[in-house]
Parts: sequence; C-alpha cells; structure tokens
Amino acid sequence: MIHYVLRRLFGIIPTLIIIITLSFFIIRLAPGSPFSSERNLPPAVIANLEKKIHLDEPLILQYLRYLGDVLRGDLGYSTKHTDFTINEFIVRSLPVSLTLGVAALTLALVTGVTFGVMAALRRNTLLDHGLMALSILGISVPMFVIGPLLQLFFSVYLGWLPTAGWISSRSGGLTLILPILTLSVTDFAYIARLTRTSVLEILRSDFIRTARAKGLPERDIIFKHTLRGALLPVLSFLGPAFANIVTGSVVVESIFDIPGMGRFFVNSALNRDYFMIMATVIVYAVILLVANLVVDIIYAIMDPRVVYE
Amino acid sequence: MSSDNLEALPKGMSLFQKALSRFFKNKMAVASLFVVIFYGIVALLAPWLPIHGFEEQVLDHQNLPPSLTKNGGELLVERLRFELEDRAGRENRSLTQQENEQLEKFEAQIRSDPKHARRYLLGTDYLGRDMLSRVIYGGQISMVLGLIGALTSILIGLIVGGISGYFGGRIDSFLMRFVDILYSLPYMLLVIIFMAVFGKNIFNLVFALAGVSWLTEARLVRGMVLSLKNSEFIQAARVIGASTPRILVRHLFPNVMNVVIVFTTLRIPSFILMEAFLSFLGLGVSAPMASWGSLVEDAVGSMTIYPWRLIFPALAMVIFLFCMNFLGEGLREAYDPHSEKIL
Amino acid sequence: MMTDEIILEVKNLSTYFHTEQGQVKAVDHVSFVLRDGETLGIVGESGSGKTVLNLSILRLLPSSVTVHAGGQILYRGRDMMSLNESELQQIRGNKISMIFQDPMTSLNPYMKVCDQLMETLILHQGLDKKTAKEKSVELIKHVGIPDPKIRAEQYPHQFSGGMRQRVMIAMALSCKPDILIADEPTTALDVTIQAQILDLIRELTREMKTSVILITHDLGVVAGICDTVAVMYAGRIVEYGTVDEIFSNPRHPYTQGLIQSVPRLDGSSDHELFSIPGSPPSLVNLPAGCHFQPRCSKAMPICAEKYPPEIVNGNHRCCCWLWHRGEDRG
Repeated sequence: MIHYVLRRLFGIIPTLIIIITLSFFIIRLAPGSPFSSERNLPPAVIANLEKKIHLDEPLILQYLRYLGDVLRGDLGYSTKHTDFTINEFIVRSLPVSLTLGVAALTLALVTGVTFGVMAALRRNTLLDHGLMALSILGISVPMFVIGPLLQLFFSVYLGWLPTAGWISSRSGGLTLILPILTLSVTDFAYIARLTRTSVLEILRSDFIRTARAKGLPERDIIFKHTLRGALLPVLSFLGPAFANIVTGSVVVESIFDIPGMGRFFVNSALNRDYFMIMATVIVYAVILLVANLVVDIIYAIMDPRVVYE
Repeated sequence: MSSDNLEALPKGMSLFQKALSRFFKNKMAVASLFVVIFYGIVALLAPWLPIHGFEEQVLDHQNLPPSLTKNGGELLVERLRFELEDRAGRENRSLTQQENEQLEKFEAQIRSDPKHARRYLLGTDYLGRDMLSRVIYGGQISMVLGLIGALTSILIGLIVGGISGYFGGRIDSFLMRFVDILYSLPYMLLVIIFMAVFGKNIFNLVFALAGVSWLTEARLVRGMVLSLKNSEFIQAARVIGASTPRILVRHLFPNVMNVVIVFTTLRIPSFILMEAFLSFLGLGVSAPMASWGSLVEDAVGSMTIYPWRLIFPALAMVIFLFCMNFLGEGLREAYDPHSEKIL
Repeated sequence: MMTDEIILEVKNLSTYFHTEQGQVKAVDHVSFVLRDGETLGIVGESGSGKTVLNLSILRLLPSSVTVHAGGQILYRGRDMMSLNESELQQIRGNKISMIFQDPMTSLNPYMKVCDQLMETLILHQGLDKKTAKEKSVELIKHVGIPDPKIRAEQYPHQFSGGMRQRVMIAMALSCKPDILIADEPTTALDVTIQAQILDLIRELTREMKTSVILITHDLGVVAGICDTVAVMYAGRIVEYGTVDEIFSNPRHPYTQGLIQSVPRLDGSSDHELFSIPGSPPSLVNLPAGCHFQPRCSKAMPICAEKYPPEIVNGNHRCCCWLWHRGEDRG
C-alpha cells in the first residue's frame, strides 16, 4: 500500500505538468496581453512593462522559465493586483476557500447520506418520493440561482442573515451560512440519490438474506451489514463532488463576495493576468489530485477486497 | 444453419418496446415528457407566436413589472402617479394642481402614442425588452446548445469508447489512461479560461463544453462494448456463423443505442447548466442573444428592486431541467428497473 | 438416530406471489412432517417451489409480494405464522438455521469471518465478545478449515467456495439448532467438493442430533444422506416416502422420470440419455387437473380434469390417478 501511495504522489507531478502546460498555452495563444486594456499608457511604456515580465521572449522560453519558477515555489506577480505577490495572495485566500469547500462538502455528505438512507428504508412511501423529488430539484437548480434567491429571502426580506462577506467581527460566523448552503446543494442531491440506490442494492443481496436468517434485528442489519458496503459508491463520488465544489466556488465566492481564490478567477482570465490564472489553476489542481488520492486510500481501507500493489 | 436463428437471440428492439410500456406506467415521468414537449413546441414555433421580438427595445418601458391586465402605458402612468403620491405623502400633503396637470398631460401623451399599448406579460428588462419573449428565445438558445453539446460529446464518447472497447489492447490502455488523467482535471476551470481568452461565440462554447465532457460517455460506451463483446449471445452468434458487421448492426448497436438514449436525456440538463454557468460568469452567449443563464446574470444585480427579471428565467430554466431530469430518470428506470447507476 | 418426536409439521401450506402476470402459486397445499434427527430431502426442478417452501418456514419472504394463503407451520407445536418479528428473530439462527446455495454471495464481503460467526453467538447465546471469538475459532476448526486462528481474521473473498460453505455451515450450527435447512448447499460447488460438504453436513448434524431439510435437484445427493424424500412439482408434493421406498418403488411418473434421467456409468455408451419431455409449467397458468399431466407418458383422461387425491400406503404417499385406480381394483 505504501508503494501505491508513493507512486500516486509522484504521479501527481506529471499530471500537474500537463495541466500547467495546457493552461499556459491556452492562455498565451489567445490574443491580447495583460496591458492591452491600459489605454492611457504610451506604447513605449507598455513595451517596457511587457519586457519586464519577459513577454518579448519566445513562448517556449517563457514556458520553461515559468516552469522553473513554479518548481522553486515562486508563483510570480499579478499584473492586476500589484500590492501583493501571488504567494501572499494564496496564503491569504486558500484557507478561506478550503474552509468554504470542506464545510459545504461535509454538509452535503452528512445530509445526503441521512436522507438517502431514510428514503431507502421507507421505499415507495411519500417520504421516499418527496426526498427524491427534492434531490432532482437540487440537481436542477444551479448555484447562481440558489445563491441570489437565498440572499433575497433570508437577507433582504427576512433580515436574518448578512448578505455577503466573510467572517467578520460584526456578524461572526453567520455570514458563512448562506454560501456554504448554496455550495452544498448540488452535491447533496447527488449523494442522497446515490446513497438511496446503493442501500437498496445492498438490501437485495444474498448476504442480507443470510443476516436475516440468523435472526439479527433490523437495526443491526442496517447499521452493521448494509451501511459499510452502501457507502462505498458514495466515497467514490467524493472526488468528483470536490471538483464540483471547486467549480462552484468560483460562482459562490463572487455572489457572496468571499475573499477566496475563486473570486478573481474570471476577471483574471479576462484581464490576461497570466500568473494569477496559472497559480489558481495549479493550486486547485493540486488540491483535487491530493483529494482523489485520499479518497482512494480510504476506499482501500473500507473495502477489504481492494488491494493496491 | 440458417442465419434466421439470430432472431432467437435478444434483440435491441424488443428491449425498447418493453421499456416503453414500463415507462408509460410512470405518471410523473410521462407528465415531465409532456412538459418537455411543450417547451420544445414553444421554442420551435417561437417566430410565429404572437409575442414581441426579443431584441426590440422600447427604452421608455424599462423595468416594467409583469401585468396580465395593464399595458405599458398604463404602467408608466401608474409609476408616475406612485412617485408623485409618495413624495406628497412624505411631505404630508395631497397632490398640487401642478402635479395633477402633469399627470393628465402625461396620460394624454401616453394615449396618443400607440407603442404604449404593448402588453408585457412577464414585464420588461433594463432596455425595455419584453421578458416573455426573452425567456422563450433564451430557452430556445439554451435548449439547442444543450442538445448540441450533449450530442457532440456523446459522438466523441461513442467514437473513443467504441474504439477503445472494440480493439482493446494497447489502444485501450492508452486511451483509458488519457481519460483518467483528464478526469481528474478541474475542467470547468479550463473551460472558463478558454472562453475568457478566446472570446465568447457559439463555436467556442460548444467546442469547449463538448471537448471536456465526453469522458463519462467514453467510459460508459467502452464498458458496454467490452461486456457485449464478451457476452454469450455474441459468441453464440459467431458460432452460428454471423459475420462481424451483422453482429455489430443487429446486436451491438441497438443495445448501445438504448443506453445512449437514456444517457443523452440525462446529459442535456448538464449541458444547459454548464452553458448557463458560463453565461452567468459573462462567458457564454453574448448580447443581443440571450440564454436563460445570461438572463439570470442580467437580473441578479437589481433583483431586489425588479425581482421578476430573475424569477421568470430562473423558473423557466428550473422547471425545464427538473422535467428533463425526471424524464431521464423515468427512462432509465423503464429500461432497467433495478439498475440506477449514477452515470 | 431418528426418533418419533415430530418437531416440525407443515400443514397445508400455501404461499402465493402477486406478479404483473397474475398470481403465482409457488407453494400449493404442501404438507409434511419432520422428526427429531431426521434428514428430509426435498427434490424438484427449478421453479418447483422448493426454495419458496423453505423461505416460508422461516418467514423470510418479503411481505410486499408474498401472500400466505393458508396452512400452518408448527414448530414444536407453535405456529410460525402467528409469531411476531421479534419472536421469529429468536428462532432464526438459533433453533432453526438456514444455509444457502451460493456461498460466494451469502457472506458479507465487508466483514471478517469471525465477526460474522460471533453475531449469532452473542445474540442468541449471550456470550461476551472474548468468549464468542474463541468459540468462533473453534467452530472454524470443527468444520475442517486448517489454521483456524488465522482464517478467522480473514474476509470471505480470501476463502475458496468450499471453505466458504463450511463457514456457512459453522454459522448455521453455531447455536446447535433443532433444524437445519440447507437450500441446495452443493449446487454451486465443484463436484469434488460437493461430496466433502455433504459428508460434513451429515457428520455434524448426526453429532448434534440436528434434523435436516435438504433441498436439491440432485437425486444422488438424496440417496447419499437423506432418510426421507419429498418430490415436488409445480408447487405441490407429488410423492413422499423413505429413501429406500422411493428409489426401489417410485410410483409417480415424475419420480420415475427423475430416477431414469440420472445417467448411469454402467449403461452402454450408445444408449440415449433419458430426459422427461417438455418443461415445467408456468406457475401462473397451471393446467387444470394434475400439473404433470402434459408431460406424462402415462396420462389418462381424468388426469387433465381433476387433481389427483393423495394415496397413502404406509409411509409412502403419492398423488397420482394411476394408483387410485389401482386401489379401486383392490
């Protein structure tokens, strides 16, 4: 198992390089430069600025230079936000995004599994159909509709919760509620359905029949025999679920004005803020790759039939 | 042994018929089907429907609320009256002679201009464009993009998955490794970057969306091809002496198509969502064209003052997606009542 | 070995299913008794209702589709049909145990073998964890698995099919039940292993004086370890008697056909294999009269009209018009 983990960890590097390369060339091959929107600067000044970040060099050289910088841990400077280095930016904003993301995923997981199990145990009752309709609704309503609607309702009309922002001295943790809720809805819906299906599938299997034939009470059958196997597909889903959250955070952070990594993402791309975009992509990619590895390890622990060499 | 014995082997068509009968027993799914068909018909007939053009701007009619009874002019008069009375109320007086004259003059002006007779069932947006037609035409764009995106990615997935599954060996390993790597990428981020830097137009949009989401289809098709390739009835067909093309057409194809139909239905909502997501970020369709996502984006900033601009496109989109998803679920259950694999 | 005390009496049991196509009479007016220490074999083709019969005894059929349409199942005088769930749970795995056909899927792949064995011991015998663990290792040893201590800590997928079935047997016999119901315990196993497992069952049940209901489609199995045989066809018992009687003097044409179908090593090689023509009827559209009549070479007109009554001849029972008329003739 150790060999497998080490292999996977090292395997992150080539994948990362592919991602960096892809992003790098997509961005660079597009027209425009970081300074093309600065109309009030004379061309000579612009040329100078470009030279400063080596934009005059051949693309390949720029690429290699960047790669070298990244390997040394230097992610460069933003051309838009000039008062901090990108490393500083990441140190400030990554914890915020991570908190938001992990909280949302946890909420989705806990509520999703609970609802899914309940629906499975009361199959074909009103509760079951209701919960499943709710989860299809969850898949059908995008985050950028839920977010504003929640803001409208809880913030503007009811005044219970603050509209936007992050943890502050004024409203404390209340600010977190709406964004975490918004971010968790889609994954909650998928997890609820997946859990329900999975539990029903297991309940149909032969070894549950054996457990019943042994005279085990229903409670034992559900919690000791069914749950462990039923949660495996849910576990597998956590990888893509986390990817959903990363994507969703771009929208949620901008709707709720949260100082995380996703807030400036779209603007950075529009502004050709090369280093900023690259850095964001790299950080997100590393997080996802590590998360996937962790999921695989937990899976191997939970399913005794899986053996990694 | 005549090749007619192939008739005895399971055929894709009879599976389809059984699924169809099971499907129609599911009332909610059938209801969803009707809703989806309704949307489709409205979208198709849009140019001939008695609605305003979606691009027509009547700047005087900015941000009018929805109304079943009052036309544009009456709403404008109401608005003016409300403003005046509100100010008067705050100053604790009733309307002055001057203000009443102002109102009457305005009303006369309104009555003389025929354009104020326009009705806006769902209100107007910030440029005085009719929300009803915006929502309908926006739906057209969203649905078409969703369909094209889904079909394109399925096409790519079919080809890649089919090749991978059928030929196996090194081609298979290589392609699947490729898919695995791509699977772990935060691809929406790359799509965002792509759209931001290469500009937003329809081609880029479809290319970007389809280009990154064929992965699941490829895996699915490959899995199916592999299992069918080794399944007993294919072997039986071989033993009888059926030729390869015949096997492919008669047996492999219908079975794969059945799954593809279900999958497409479930994919279209994802594509509509992705396109809406991009439009919301300002990276999707560009003005004057609208999609549901871009309509929501337009409306978010002023949603507290003009909530109908957000509610109607959002509602239209959510209802459509809900019904598409329900439909897809119904189809999947109809084909295989016990299998509910999340694809 | 076999006493006269009746511990299980199935009286006129009927179990029907509701399906889209109609009502399925899976078990139809079935009656038999099981004595203390007896090994009863129930023989029939797939679809004859033998599995449903066994699941009915322990009431393991889902109530959403099954209907108990009549009859009683008397275990030591108590009607199983009238017991509530918690009373049933006290009997299952404890007084009446069951082992199933496919050992691959009948054990929980996510739990260690010792944990699965310990469950019944803790639940029904009130043992504490430590004692239960020790006992489970003993049980594993008792069913003939080497290195029991190591094996106990392993998972089912690390066992071969035969060993898994041994584990199932250990689990079923762990609380020394009165009755063991074995539903085709060897069908899914290799031929060489089958004999071992059957021997194991016979040995252990004899040792513990457990009665056995063995369901199988294989007459050879029946001849090997059973005392009595009940032959089932299309939901009914068509013939019942001791093994010796049935094999030497089969009365029902179906039983005769079954015995004839067994390939003989001493038959000549160009002798065509015998099989009963036709196939079992759909349990939804049962023919009127005797269920076997469409395939019976000795059918008479009355066979298609009325279901034959049971003819009792000492310990040998049979439902066939042939024998009715024989009796008539004196």
